[in-house]
Amino acid sequence: MFETAPLHQDFEATQSGRRTKGVTQIEHTLQEALVSGDRALRSVPSMLSLIVGESAQSLLSDAIVAKVRGFLESLAEQLLEAKAGCHRLDIGSREIDKIVAALSVDGALLNYCYALAVESRATDKLGQTAAVDPVLSPLLQELIASSDAASAELAMRAMAAQSRFVQQQMRMELPLEELPAELLDRTLNRWRSIYDEDAEIIQAVESIKNAYDEGSSRTGLMMRLVTRMRGGAIAGLEVAHAGMALFTTSLASLSKQPRELTVLACQEGQAPRLALSLRSTGMESEAIQRQFHFLNPAEQPSSALRALDPARALAILHHDHPAF
Amino acid sequence: MTTVGFEATSTSLTCGLVDSRMRLVSADQALSELQEACGGRVPGQLAIPELRILVDLAQDLKLRIARKFSAHDGQHFVAGFVRIRPLTDGGFELSIEDLRNEPGVSSSHETATRLDTIDRVAAEIVAKLDGNQRIRMLNTNAADAKDFQTMVAADPGKPWYDFVILHGVSHQQPLHWRLLDGAECEIPGSARNWRIRLIPLGTVMPKPSAFELLFVSDVPFTMVDSAPSGPPSSHAIGETLTPVLRQPIARIVANAETIRARLAGPLRREYSDYAANIAAAGKHLRAMLVDLSDLESVENDDFSTMSEQVDLIDASRRAAGILGVRASDREITLDVDGEGDVVALAEYRRVLQILINLIGNAIAYSPEGSTVTIRANRDGEHSVSISVSDEGPGIAEGHSTKIFEKFERLGRESDGSKDPGSGLGLYISRKLALAMNGELTLQSPVRTDPPMGARFTLRLPTFQ
Repeated sequence: MFETAPLHQDFEATQSGRRTKGVTQIEHTLQEALVSGDRALRSVPSMLSLIVGESAQSLLSDAIVAKVRGFLESLAEQLLEAKAGCHRLDIGSREIDKIVAALSVDGALLNYCYALAVESRATDKLGQTAAVDPVLSPLLQELIASSDAASAELAMRAMAAQSRFVQQQMRMELPLEELPAELLDRTLNRWRSIYDEDAEIIQAVESIKNAYDEGSSRTGLMMRLVTRMRGGAIAGLEVAHAGMALFTTSLASLSKQPRELTVLACQEGQAPRLALSLRSTGMESEAIQRQFHFLNPAEQPSSALRALDPARALAILHHDHPAF
Repeated sequence: MTTVGFEATSTSLTCGLVDSRMRLVSADQALSELQEACGGRVPGQLAIPELRILVDLAQDLKLRIARKFSAHDGQHFVAGFVRIRPLTDGGFELSIEDLRNEPGVSSSHETATRLDTIDRVAAEIVAKLDGNQRIRMLNTNAADAKDFQTMVAADPGKPWYDFVILHGVSHQQPLHWRLLDGAECEIPGSARNWRIRLIPLGTVMPKPSAFELLFVSDVPFTMVDSAPSGPPSSHAIGETLTPVLRQPIARIVANAETIRARLAGPLRREYSDYAANIAAAGKHLRAMLVDLSDLESVENDDFSTMSEQVDLIDASRRAAGILGVRASDREITLDVDGEGDVVALAEYRRVLQILINLIGNAIAYSPEGSTVTIRANRDGEHSVSISVSDEGPGIAEGHSTKIFEKFERLGRESDGSKDPGSGLGLYISRKLALAMNGELTLQSPVRTDPPMGARFTLRLPTFQ
């Protein structure tokens, strides 16, 4: 019977008629599904080793996983609350799970949540290793005291946003308005599609969108502040002076990478990216080592870095850009 | 100081309005300039590609977005932070914060740099402007630009565009520099058509602190009669600036001295040392200004000196007296002597100036505890001379003419290194000597032990 025909005979069979072709397509689909299932299984051990691995600083510590889950739940809650007449107490956990399940397949959103959790962990760590206040770094303090009123006001708003960020991190919250515009749009679209374009939801989406202003989000404010500092963004590259938030924003701006990527570069195992990013801004190797001392003392920047031209470092960084 | 209106606003906020058909319908100056630089118009389709992508994004998402962006205006990278707000009528409100030029690394940037270099080489008129495009200095060796140069020298401190006729630039004054870079113009006295290059110097935003202005012509000037082919004459406006700058510099020096001496209360030693550095730099600047205005006067074609009876022995005693304190600081003996009457036909003030320069140099470059010898002599019937010799390391033979060149310091570091010098002293001294029908020369050191250092001789006509 044709069902038991060996797989490698497919192509011959295709020639013989329509009916056979349909069947081999089914087999082909099954085979693909099998491969992707195997691939998923194969990646489990490596993920598990990251999760159950020793240190709290590993790429996927329990705290990080919990936070990412918490962020998704927080997003789901806010979406449900935005629906007219819905209050926190009325929201059932099943509804939340439904939305979380829909959101958790969005790789870009997961990446963003992951970077936030990592940033929060690094901010705490910097408070311990370099005594940098998680909210008010020395640089931010200077900017608030700036004689330029507009800069001072912007710095003030950035500080307020950072202070909210620190609070939210402890409560594992991620406000919708803190998402970048593209991610907010995707999140809202997913939510809408779960409920089959319910009229109430469309209205809720509309009101969330109207209230949104990317430039007032924490990362938006930080980027505005760094842009305003012009060449002074260099000052933002001393992590012990600038604090994690301004440091990663300055680094992102000067090395022309997404901010999330510079955040992730600050953790263990990411020394090459951090070193190249810093070098691409023209930083000297002594100063680069200083940043490592605070961010990732276990690793050292490559000694070859000293001879590397900043423009080359930038080219290497952007050579193959991960999908971020 | 008056700032040009546009620059003041461009640093903070630049706004624009885009309608639902992606047309930039209104825009602040900086944005409309960028739009024009990218080949667009106002009103007209939004032509700045990077902004267009962001407006498209805001349209797709129907969200207020805020992004850093950078664009290329044909010359430079321009960067800023743009906030885009979708409006209910389908249009967008753009507000750009901190729009400014950015040092970009790219091939197009390299191309721009190369073009700048080519224009620098090809330019026949070169000027330095201040941040408000006022001419500070203008150099040319083009014969048909002499009228222009004279006009500028006669009316210093005016923006350069007041002197020329610009083509195809219809904007209201004051003009933004980006619009003028590359414009065509006519120059008084020249039949040729000139292209303007306006290259900003220093940090470009909030506004350039200075400019380099080049006039490039595609047509060579056909010389009707052989124009004198001397070195390009330089007309800095130092003479005009010196009196104006003297007072603020004096104030800087005085205040720095006050801090250095801790007159206003206790202060850490490092800060007092910084103040000493400021005072030293201020003094240097002051001396430099005096030198520069001297330089201008001696380089002026109609510079002349008075002719009077000058007793060289008296002049050298006077100069030694003035520098006595400086010499004794370094335990240097000033030995002044001369035989009989050594009287020159020259200008007393200028002779004294030359002697102070020569003796000052001798003190600076001599070892401590040595002697500087100043001798006045009758060389013959028509010539008298005065020589200043030190016991320093001397000056190599090959350098005996080079040392009289402008800004030439031969890499020497004076021992009394508080005054690094402008490198103009000997040049000016020699010019002065020549103007008095005399000469200033350097004799190579005689190799003796202890080594005879440098000996400068000022030769002047005898007073009959």
